[in-house]
Amino acid sequence: MATSSASRRIIRVLLVEDEAIHQVIARQRLKAVGGVELDVVVNGAEAVRRVRERGAYYYDLILTDRQMPVMDGHEATRQIPALGVTTPIVGLSSDCLAADVDAFINAGADDFVPKPLNKEKLDRVLTKFGIV
Amino acid sequence: MTGEIQLCSVFKCLSSYPVQSSNEGHAKYLFQLTETIAIDRLGARGIPYCLWDVEVEALQDETSPNFTEEVVSLFFKDSTRLMLNIEQAMEKYPRDFKRWDAHVQQLKGSCSSIGASRMKNECTSFRTSCGAGNVESCTKSLQKVKTEHAALRQKLESYFQVILDSQRRLLYQSLPLLISLRVLTQHGCTQLMRQAGPCGMATRPRGM
Repeated sequence: MATSSASRRIIRVLLVEDEAIHQVIARQRLKAVGGVELDVVVNGAEAVRRVRERGAYYYDLILTDRQMPVMDGHEATRQIPALGVTTPIVGLSSDCLAADVDAFINAGADDFVPKPLNKEKLDRVLTKFGIV
Repeated sequence: MTGEIQLCSVFKCLSSYPVQSSNEGHAKYLFQLTETIAIDRLGARGIPYCLWDVEVEALQDETSPNFTEEVVSLFFKDSTRLMLNIEQAMEKYPRDFKRWDAHVQQLKGSCSSIGASRMKNECTSFRTSCGAGNVESCTKSLQKVKTEHAALRQKLESYFQVILDSQRRLLYQSLPLLISLRVLTQHGCTQLMRQAGPCGMATRPRGM
């Protein structure tokens, strides 16, 4: 049975991103934070499957891109909470018009970060959700 | 890593040699001096240092000495593929502006990741044209994106060549000092020179 994230020192992050360049940069940024275990999946369907396998409390943070094959980030954002997951879900996209942000929030995301993911944005998210 | 050397890996090699505590700062100093020289040389060639997201470059560390090269290679690999996808999509009938827009949006995202702002701006214009369903405007936008892509490739090529060449030159200039300070042995010096290669042999990252 998965333990509560509050008792763990390791931060477990699920990155839902199909583009290699964004995976590489996000991985390096999270490595710079220290103490992060990163799982990467390439579409929303894989994210739903991974969360179902790991358990509702396994991940401390889910970062998801919007545009992906098979299942996009909006749909994954809708489906994951339905599994009983309360992990914060943060949308990532290079689209940052108000309509794009609203679309993610309306799908159920807890926050939105425009790409590129930099140190400042990552720190804000981690602090906001009490992860570090 | 034939012909391709990153200063991080060179100084990582340096760090494996016995170093007296009084000399530990020398490698870091030399690295900083290399960057200063490279920036000056880039400026002399009219190439601004901040071509791209220096935060990306700052992520490179000794455990990922080729990170910058990897990101640049990935960018050019992805962007070339995406531009080809866009071209092929634009040749198909009926015209599917949503598909064109989706490809451009991906390309824009890649540009954002490395701070290629001029190319990103052209992608934004392109997306506006897609939204308006304007074929002529889309065609012009694609040409502009290609132009910016080619310019960025050329500038980054120059950037890496200048950086690497500066690093090699400084390494050769500093070797006598490092030997006299006992940071390096003569044997270690020979090994480093073999690894670094001769000056003027800087090569582009893979994929460029």
